[in-house]
Amino acid sequence: MRVIAFIIVCLTGALLLYGTTEFPDWGDPKSPASLHVSNYYIEKTYEDTHAPNFVTAVVTDYRGFDTMFETAVIFTAGLGCFLLLRDFREKKEHYYQHIPTGVILHLKDEKKSLPVGKEFGYMDKEWVPPDLINKTVCRILIPFIQIYALYVVAHGDYSPGGGFQGGVIFGSSLILLAISYDLKTLVKRIKERLLGIFAALGVLIYAGTGVLCLFMGGNFLDYGKLAPLLPGHSDHIRAYGMLVVEIGVGIAVMAVMTIIYINIVSEGRHDEGL
Amino acid sequence: MNIIVIALLVFGLFFFLAGAIGIMRMPDFYSRLHPAGKLDTLATLAMVMGLAVYNLNQITLGTILISLKMFLIVFFVSLASPTATHTIVDAGMRAGLRHWTKKKQRG
Repeated sequence: MRVIAFIIVCLTGALLLYGTTEFPDWGDPKSPASLHVSNYYIEKTYEDTHAPNFVTAVVTDYRGFDTMFETAVIFTAGLGCFLLLRDFREKKEHYYQHIPTGVILHLKDEKKSLPVGKEFGYMDKEWVPPDLINKTVCRILIPFIQIYALYVVAHGDYSPGGGFQGGVIFGSSLILLAISYDLKTLVKRIKERLLGIFAALGVLIYAGTGVLCLFMGGNFLDYGKLAPLLPGHSDHIRAYGMLVVEIGVGIAVMAVMTIIYINIVSEGRHDEGL
Repeated sequence: MNIIVIALLVFGLFFFLAGAIGIMRMPDFYSRLHPAGKLDTLATLAMVMGLAVYNLNQITLGTILISLKMFLIVFFVSLASPTATHTIVDAGMRAGLRHWTKKKQRG
């Protein structure tokens, strides 16, 4: 059986390698991908939009609708994760820690509960003490990761980066907080309601920019018409518009990443997990 | 100046190579993490130092700033990489993975 599988893998690999011989060469100016609109983008992007990074210009301006619906897809992913996994039922058993002594109490009666405050704290079933080295290093690193994420979002139209990447970096910094401390630390800092609002707000910023352009007399997502609203030279107005929608994308991606992580690791209960 | 750069780059490459061989050849999980964590940090330090020196061929404010930014990379890598290694080893210990011993001692 293994021999047959090996032969099939080799044949498929050979077939794929054979297929690649008909690909155009690297950087071939006559390849199908670079015959139609690429030349226009390369030559005219700076004149049209004044955004130095024309990848961002293509993604958020020439093909702004595409990116808007991508953001909507990400929002839908977060929504789907919430609807499928979120579990509001109370747990049958509760664990508490008596803070002054460190004794762990296990309440099996689901109706009883202890007041959580100075005396008693919540405790997870599979709790392990957070590692000191991890906690310290993550506490040092997380602010830098977040600053870097904001940098990536803000420089989306000037250098490689943009909303999706910056949002993912920001979301992963929050996930790092949850991993290095515990999930409750994250949930305490950022409420679930706030994350939901952020996820929707990101999409709203993007779509709202488009609608605002409609009100200013242009087409949907025609940033050029926003010139009276924003300061600065009106040539750069399309780059500003890109920045605004990138911020929207970044907020949505950050919130959705965190929602998906929290729901998956805690099986939808938002109380304990990794 | 170029000699220093080449020496640093070769030094870094040597340690990357040694780390890669170590990951392939070491017998178990914990000892594989040793080259992965330790040599990578040192090799990154040497390589980025080489690149920073290469960047300083004209000493202006701009190149000095770029070299400092490169050292920031080294700083963060040398902060994050040992911590990651420590965490993976810690996870292995908590999951109960036994460390490797020679076969005759095990029997």
